[in-house]
Order: sequence, then C-alpha cells, then structure tokens
Amino acid sequence: MTADLGFWVLQTLNALQLSMLLFLLSVGLTVIFGLMHFVNLAHGSLYAFGAYVAATLAGTFGYWGGLLVAPLAVAALGAVLYLTLIRSQRRAGPMAQVLITFGLIFVAVDATRLVWGDLPIGIAVPAILDSQIALLGVEYPAYRLFIIALGLCVLAALTLILTRTQIGAMIRAGVDNDQMAACLGINVERMFFLVFVVGCALAGLAGAVAAPVLSVTPDMGLQILIPTLIVIVIGGLGSLKGAVAGSLIFGFVQTFGAVLLPTLSSVLIYALLAAVLVTRPQGLLPAKG
Amino acid sequence: MFTHTPLRLTTLALLAAGSLSYAYAAGFFGLEILAEIATLAILVIALDLVAGFGGMVSLCHGALLGVGAYVFTVAANDAGLTALPAMVLAVVLSSALAFAIGAVCARSTGIYFIMATLAFGQMAYSYVFQSPLFGGDDGLSGAPRPDLTAIGIDLTDSRAFAVYAILLVAFAYLVAARTLRSGLGRSLVGLHHNEKRLRALGLTVWRAKASAFAISGALAALAGCLAAQHTQYVSPGLLSWTVSGEALVVVILGGLGTLTGPIVGAILFVVLKHEISAITPYWHAIVGIILITVVMSRAKGVFGFIESRWDDRGAKTVAKEAEADA
Amino acid sequence: MLETRDLSKSFGPIQVTKGVSLKLQQGERRVILGPNGAGKTTLFNQLVGELRPDSGTIHLDGADVTSLGVADRARRGLSRSYQKNTLFDGLTIRENLGLATAVALGKGQGLWSDPLHAPEVRETVKEVAAQVDLAPYLEARVDAVSYGIRRQLEVGIALAARPKVILMDEPTSGVGPEMSKGFHRLLKALPRDLTILIIEHDMDLAFDVADTITVLNYGEVVFDGLPDAAKGSQLLKDIYLGAWEDA
Repeated sequence: MTADLGFWVLQTLNALQLSMLLFLLSVGLTVIFGLMHFVNLAHGSLYAFGAYVAATLAGTFGYWGGLLVAPLAVAALGAVLYLTLIRSQRRAGPMAQVLITFGLIFVAVDATRLVWGDLPIGIAVPAILDSQIALLGVEYPAYRLFIIALGLCVLAALTLILTRTQIGAMIRAGVDNDQMAACLGINVERMFFLVFVVGCALAGLAGAVAAPVLSVTPDMGLQILIPTLIVIVIGGLGSLKGAVAGSLIFGFVQTFGAVLLPTLSSVLIYALLAAVLVTRPQGLLPAKG
Repeated sequence: MFTHTPLRLTTLALLAAGSLSYAYAAGFFGLEILAEIATLAILVIALDLVAGFGGMVSLCHGALLGVGAYVFTVAANDAGLTALPAMVLAVVLSSALAFAIGAVCARSTGIYFIMATLAFGQMAYSYVFQSPLFGGDDGLSGAPRPDLTAIGIDLTDSRAFAVYAILLVAFAYLVAARTLRSGLGRSLVGLHHNEKRLRALGLTVWRAKASAFAISGALAALAGCLAAQHTQYVSPGLLSWTVSGEALVVVILGGLGTLTGPIVGAILFVVLKHEISAITPYWHAIVGIILITVVMSRAKGVFGFIESRWDDRGAKTVAKEAEADA
Repeated sequence: MLETRDLSKSFGPIQVTKGVSLKLQQGERRVILGPNGAGKTTLFNQLVGELRPDSGTIHLDGADVTSLGVADRARRGLSRSYQKNTLFDGLTIRENLGLATAVALGKGQGLWSDPLHAPEVRETVKEVAAQVDLAPYLEARVDAVSYGIRRQLEVGIALAARPKVILMDEPTSGVGPEMSKGFHRLLKALPRDLTILIIEHDMDLAFDVADTITVLNYGEVVFDGLPDAAKGSQLLKDIYLGAWEDA
C-alpha cells in the first residue's frame, strides 16, 4: 500500500485539506493573540456558528449564498462580542480570558442546540464541485480540492495585506511592540476591532467550507478548538508564518499518523506539541525574536 | 500566605456538620448528589492548591482525575488488587504523571502554561480513548468499592458511601492545608508572587513546581477513585479538558486561593446543575452566563466575597478603635 | 572570596562587559561606581548567574561557579538585592523575610513542618529585621508601607539568606538623602566578616562605606583601588563626574 504513488498523493491531499481548514481558523486566533494578547477559546464556537448559518441558508439561497453570508454573519457576531466582552478584558490576564471565553462556549453550545436542535445537520456539496477529479493517478473529490485552493487564496491575500499595505504594516508593528504602535499614532482601538472581526469572519468561512465535509453538530466548535490551539502553540503565538507551519505540521502528522502508525496516531500530535513546548516554549516561529 | 482564619474554620465546621447531618437524613437521590459533590470538591481542592496559591492554572486536572479512575479500575478488575491497594496505586501513578507534567511545564507561565497542561491532558485523553486496555470509547465498568465489612461498614449502602465520600473530602482538605503550611507550600505562594527572587535565594524552582503539581495530582486521582467507586463505571469523558475547565469554573465561583471557597463552589455547582437541569436542558448556558458575570465583575467568588466583606468589617472596627484611642 | 577573571559579555554588537577582573577579600566592602549604562547591573547579573558571560570565570569562596545556575550559587552563599524592588507583594514583611530565610535554609521543599514557625527562621527574621530597621513594621503588608521601607526590605531579603557575599544594586536609589545616610549607618553595622559589593550612585555616600572602589565605564574597569586614590584621580573625575553632571 505504502509503495503506491497514489496512496501518497491521496494522503498528501487529505493532509493539505485538513491543514487549510485549520489555517483558516488559527490565523485569526493567532493574530488576535499577537496583537491584543487575548486568548479566545470561543473561536471554535464562531466556526460552528458559521457552519450552522451556511447549512441553514443553503436550503434557500444555495451553497454559495451560505458561503458568502456565513462569514459576514460571524463577523457581525464577533463585532458584538468585541464591544461587549472582549474589549474590556484585554488586560485582564490569561485566566480571566480563558474563563470568560469558556463561559461563552457553554452559552454558544446551548444556543445552537436551542435554535438548531441536537441532531447533526447535513449539507450537500454544490453541484458544480460534486465530482471527482483525476490528479496524478488518483480520483479526488473536487470539493476537497476547492478547500485547498480557497485556503491558499486566503493565505496569499493575507500575506499581501500584511506585507504590502499600510494597515498590514501597522498590524505587524503592533504585534512586534505594543507601545510602538500607539506611538506611531495608529488608532489602536480601530485596528484591534478590525483584526478581531476579520479573524471571526475567517472562522465563519472555515465553518461554512467545512459544513459539507463534516456533519454540523453543536459540539463541532469544541472538537476543532484543541487542534486549532495546538496549531498556534506549535507555530508560535501571534505569527502568520507560525499559523501556516503549525497547520501544515498538524495536518500532515495527523493524516499520515492515522494511516502509517494507527496505534500511536492520536498521541503523536500531543507528543509533538509537548516536545515543542519543552525545547521551544515560544513555538517554532514566534512573532517576536 | 495560607492561614486558617476564624471565618474559614467556622465555615469548614458548618460544612462538615451540615453534610454529615444531610447524609443521615437524605434519601437515595440526595445521597447520590452528596457523593457527586464530594468528588468535585476533592478535584477543586486539588486545583485550588496549584492554581489559586501557586498561580499554575491547569487544564489537565480532569485528565489526572481520569487517570486515577482508570488505574484504579484496571488494577482492581484485571490486576486482582483489592480496592485499597488499587487506590494507592492509582494515586501514586497519577501523582508521578503530575510530577512529570509539572516538571516539563515549569518553564512556561501564563497562557503557555495553560496551553501546555491542556496538551498533556488531551494526550492522556486520546490515549485512553483509543486504547483497548482501557476499553476505548465504551469505558470500563465494575470498579469495586472498598470492602469495610470487617469493621462493620457496608459501602454498597449509599448512606455509608456518602459518609465515606465526605471523609475523603476532609482528608483531601487536610492534605492540601498541610501542604500549604509546609515549606513547599510557602515556596509555592512565593513562586506565584516572585519566581525570580526565590531562585536567587536558592530554590530549585522546577522541583518545587513539580512537587506541588504531584501532590495536587495525587488528590485529583483520589477524586478519580471516588468517582469510579461511586458510579462503578469509568469513561474517557472523565479525562476531557472540559472537566478541567468546569473544575476551574467551580474554583472561581467558590473563591480562588481560599481552599474553603472551592468546596462551597462545588456544592453550589452540583446543586445548581441539578436544579437548573430539572427546569431546562440548557443549564450549561446558565452556568456560562453566571461565570462571565462573576469574572467580568472582578468578584472573588461566593466565599471570596464573604471574606472580603468580613475583612472590611474587621478593618472598620480597627479604624474605629484607633479613632477612639486618638 | 569573590573573584572574576577576564569576564566579557556582548549583546549583539554592543560589548557590555569587557574583560572585567575583580578580587574581593573576605569582609571587604567594595563600591562600584560608574555612569548610567556602564554595565554595573549587567556585571551583577553575571555574578549571580542570571546572565551567562561569553568568556571569563567567576570564583566564589575558591570554587569555580561560572557554569552554575542562580539557585546553586545562592546556596553557596551568594545573595543579591535588586535595583528595582523584587519583593513578595501581598505578603507581610515578616512573611517576606521568613520565606527568604526558609528557602535559603533549604526548607523550601519541605512537606511537613511550617518553616515560618521554625525557631531558627524566627530568630533570623528577628535579627535581619533589626539589621535593616524593620522591626516595627513586621506585621505590615508590603503594599501598605512606604517606598523607603520597601527599599530596606529589598536588602533585608538578601540578608535573610545569611550570605557570605552580598551584592547590593543601588540600595538607596529613589530614597531621600536622610534615609540614604540612615541606611549607610545600618550598612556599617553589619558583621565585619560579610563581604559586600555595592553599586552606588552617590559618591559621598560611596566613600563613606567603601574599603575599595571600582569604577566601570563602557563595561571596562577604569579604576580599582583605595577611596583616597579614587578621590584624587583625574580619570575618575573626568569620566564619572562628567557623566554625573550630564545626568
């Protein structure tokens, strides 16, 4: 089995698809942390909310309508959260932040149960992507290739924004040095708000994209949270490069671990994380030198 | 520094008297709730020891509890140990695991410490979840209760079991209080305030942190044994990080860093859970809202609130006396 | 008692310690002078092990401690106070001194008895409180006393370790001239066999307590000798007083 090229291609694509999904989630979380030192455990719940919105709208507006509206809806929810809870807790220390967002998870899980019920909701892959594409000798679902492509597009767009635009430079300055950003006369409040909302929108996008592949359930946000946290801790809190590296590492270790070392696979990624924490407590590619 | 203030001693005495009288009066359902409270109380005492006093906010205490519960069950079911030696084995192994986690995480602080403990907790969870030895997803049943018939006590009786559970809480409290008044406990509080200075005074910081974590892990495992004996069934869910998160919630609601407060928190949490879930299936949301309110208002939890009111009164009395003197 | 040979340390392109060699006899009181940025605190950080030197050695009581960590050096009798107060906030002054004594006596990992109530700890706390004039404030919480008292506690914690060598980093920084003088009286009353290395800004006070003077400039020892020689030294006047007047 492992000598077959097709096997490697297939698993590589699977790994990439998982990596891209995690990237969409972790990039927002990590930049929010780097900039505001805020740990948002409810980030996974925003992803779940995105999936639910997409699944609900798919019935009336079709898949693409859902994919478009879900990030906007989640961004709106993120804006409300930022103004009511997050902003005042920025300097409250990690324990208060962990507890408040843990409370938010409780509320979010029950809120989705109340609105959408306990049963999983299914959503069909859009017709145009509901096919298999032959690639290097394997048949691979077009929708999953779409996820990979979308992830790469978002990565390219974010890289451009962060390296080539003024707002990107401001964000990088803010991550590097808290005081510096303020000294440069940047409207820090507005920048935080913007970054938080965009991070939420990306989580919503991830949820909408994942909805046809995974089943949409109230606890999907909790399930994705731990992998997302592992990604940003391995990569280094606060850095875009770290989020990319962490997502790829997680995607590949998880996917290939499951097929090559099935007995160890579930522990493998945690062992890797432990090794990173012991040898490089700040992660592999930390935002600050 | 940890002290037994009159308020704390009075509260503890009231709790002991109240829970024991309740154990004599309550029906079956009440006794079940009592055992559930006792399990949670031991876990939160363990967590308050490291998080409240040492500033080591752990999200792996659920896993330490679960490891204790599983080791106990496997040792009793498969290794042929009787309940008491199996408990000792569970506590020792869990404590060793906690020592290792504490040693590895000793360099991390703040959010990194939280993440690191979360990772180790999830590692244990995943291992148990997929391991055939531990029954995987299905869990294991048949954990025995200690056989005390030799001294005329039948722990299969739920009233006797509730009293036994209360005694275990008292034991856990005494261990934690003793630890906090020992050299290690004093260092632990010092580390929370100023790690650098203690190192400059000659303290081997990683060892102190790991030792404190080991004692806390031993107590968490004791809670695990009690949970296994109570329901006579263990499942991977015990190790989940949400168990640790809930324990942290209880510590905060009760009063972080007071040791007495978390016990009060455990009672409130379990009672609230049963009361609210009788009315609505969405009790988690209610707990979430209470938690957010408590943390955002900077309140120090139920017991912390009572203590600060008490202190204010004391301070006012002193001030009045000083005025009278002048 | 404490000796460094050719100690050097760079941060990137900036050399903060350049071949510093010092030799302190037992009971010697040496004052380190130098303008801001001369590398005085960086030198202290290397002496206690909070920073690793790039090259050179440090000997404490005859043994090479260059590769030892902070805690190991502390256990061998080296103690320090910080320029910025590094106390146990939220605890009382008695608890601060008691904790420091307990840890220094190796009771910081004990599992049974309460070291704060151990007779030798209580005795040391009492002695140190007398040495740094803190006896009336023992039951006060650190955050409830004045800055000057906290400054005295800063040195008290270092003394509670009952060290052979104590390094004091600007013990009187930020306190008024009266209090500085009072502190120097306390300093002179310390046991004569205690070796003391002090960073001090105030020249007059420095000459008041010093047996010997070392002047650092740009990480280099530019003077090393008796106070009288230092007073007459044109070099010292140029470097130190020049910078002093600028500051």
